[in-house]
Amino acid sequence: MNPHDAMLDDIAVYALGALPRGQARAVREHMATCPECTAEYRRLKPAVDAVAYSAEACRDAAGGAVVPSPRLKARIMDQVRGSAARPRPYNVGEMRAVRPIVWPAYAVAAACLAVALVTSAFNISLNEELHQSQAQLAQLGTHTKLLNRQVAAQRTELADLTSTESQHFAVEDGEVVRHGNRLYIAMQSMGMPPRGKVYQAWIMRKGGKQMTPSVTFMPDHSGVAVVHVPARASQIVEVAVSVEPEGGSKQPTSKPAFVVKLT
Amino acid sequence: MARVRTKDAAAFESLYDAYHRLVYGIAFRVVSDATAAEDITQAVFLKIWTAPERFAGGNFGGWIARVARNKAIDSVRRKSPAETELSDAMPDSDLLEERVFSEIDAESVRRALAQLPAEQREPIELGFFGGITHAEIARRSGIPLGTIKTRIRTGLGKLRSALEGTVRV
Repeated sequence: MNPHDAMLDDIAVYALGALPRGQARAVREHMATCPECTAEYRRLKPAVDAVAYSAEACRDAAGGAVVPSPRLKARIMDQVRGSAARPRPYNVGEMRAVRPIVWPAYAVAAACLAVALVTSAFNISLNEELHQSQAQLAQLGTHTKLLNRQVAAQRTELADLTSTESQHFAVEDGEVVRHGNRLYIAMQSMGMPPRGKVYQAWIMRKGGKQMTPSVTFMPDHSGVAVVHVPARASQIVEVAVSVEPEGGSKQPTSKPAFVVKLT
Repeated sequence: MARVRTKDAAAFESLYDAYHRLVYGIAFRVVSDATAAEDITQAVFLKIWTAPERFAGGNFGGWIARVARNKAIDSVRRKSPAETELSDAMPDSDLLEERVFSEIDAESVRRALAQLPAEQREPIELGFFGGITHAEIARRSGIPLGTIKTRIRTGLGKLRSALEGTVRV
């Protein structure tokens, strides 16, 4: 037997796992450079695996055969399921190994937080916009009500002014109209008052001794003015209009543009 | 194993069902004690669960058999550290292993082993399950070391040939 045949025998013993540590290392180093020994190892290694399988326990205990206890599986699976349900403790080496996984997890968490913050800010913004929209909607609602009232008032006004049942009291460039308890001043070509001045209506109630101040108004650019005088028309016996300072006066400060008795 | 690496308990249970008799059988053969064999089986499978990356690929049956054998021999070694010269642990990862038995049947292997001459079968079984070195085998049997090595190689070669029909490349 030459030295290499002896090495082939060592390969067989190494494959079986029966070499001491020092010789096993030497065989591994030799195989790294020897294709023949490597081939012999590959030839014999499945036989060693087969030896291992010869010890495989039987499926049942019939005839006193060796079988593991059924409780063994339950014991192992309890630990497996228990550990699967809780995070693994890490040692330093594992921490280094899993860091590429952990950091992305933090990154994902940070991204989720960022998304949450952006979403929250977006929600706040949306809420603010919603509140603003709701306020605008409420204002629009109020404005609509006012417009509706104005439209209704104008319709009433128009109906009153054109009604054959209304009383018309002619004045210069216009008229005073009474319909039931409603009273109007309707001017067709009224000149604009001086700067800082407005027109003001005056009314005399039944039994009254002097004019009392009523609404102030301005004609439009074409000289038209239709003004509802807020008073019970049936109680009014005289109407006048004068030019007064903005905000009106308690007493007439100028010669009236007209004075008309409602009789 | 890929699913076990993702901590799939159901996949692990399937793995246990497929290989627990092999692991337990090897452990029992080495330690000759049912309770100790169960402890070793439990340790082997829990190690697979906690460190599945230790299996680098290839023949899983051969790998888990080596892990079980090494674990069982470690157990024996702790109990009798100085009485015998114990062999080196078999490497868990064996990249040279290209050929595996596609359908290893324990009964077929037992029959094939039984057909080997006792002078070849005994050192093989003693070396694998006893965890002792070829020198220790030679000392116990009173047979020259070189003869023991040759018998081991010859016996493994015959076993390989006897099971040739179930080997795939």
